[in-house]
Amino acid sequence: MTGSVSNRMRVLRFLNGEMSQAELGQRIGVTRQTIAAIESGKYSPTLEAAFRIADVFGVPLPEVFTWDANSTGSQGA
Amino acid sequence: MAYREKTGWLSLIAMALTFGPYFAIVATHTIPASGLPNLRLLVVFAVAALCQALILIAGHLYLGLRSPGEARTPPDERDRAIMRRSISSAYYVLIAGMILVGGVMPFNSSGWSIVNAAILMIVIAEVVHYGVLVLCYRRHAS
Repeated sequence: MTGSVSNRMRVLRFLNGEMSQAELGQRIGVTRQTIAAIESGKYSPTLEAAFRIADVFGVPLPEVFTWDANSTGSQGA
Repeated sequence: MAYREKTGWLSLIAMALTFGPYFAIVATHTIPASGLPNLRLLVVFAVAALCQALILIAGHLYLGLRSPGEARTPPDERDRAIMRRSISSAYYVLIAGMILVGGVMPFNSSGWSIVNAAILMIVIAEVVHYGVLVLCYRRHAS
């Protein structure tokens, strides 16, 4: 099965005053390493965490995460 | 390196430093098949288990002092996903090992051979558990 989740978290952090990964992690209740893994596409967050991230940036979920049906992702626990 | 990855490495090192020598002693010394209870081997096992516990306690204290914030933080969703994956991998190894030890070995072995084979399977399952855990954290490392 192909397809992967891509995200604009790096851009949104920049647009929100260069928010650090640690600060974003603290605000949604995960570690800095988890934010880094999500940002680099190595880990797909739960739906709840995805909504929380979108909420921190004050944007709807599709503006943070998008589904790319043609790419081959490398996600997993 | 994340705190939980460090604790995974600690568990692997503790396992290698204690049960490595234990199985080296078991492999190089002739054990009487019907010599139960074999108190000498029981003492070696007790020493290995005690040393492992001491290494883990000292290691966790050291890691906790070096990064107290991370040590106090409960596991997040990615930590839990990694834990689920590592435990389920180890579970299949343990089940296969126990079927081998409990279902096959009684036909051709006895006494401490079976006991040590069971301990070996538990150790292998633990190595798989912490090995998969460390591997998952390495793959996600930034």
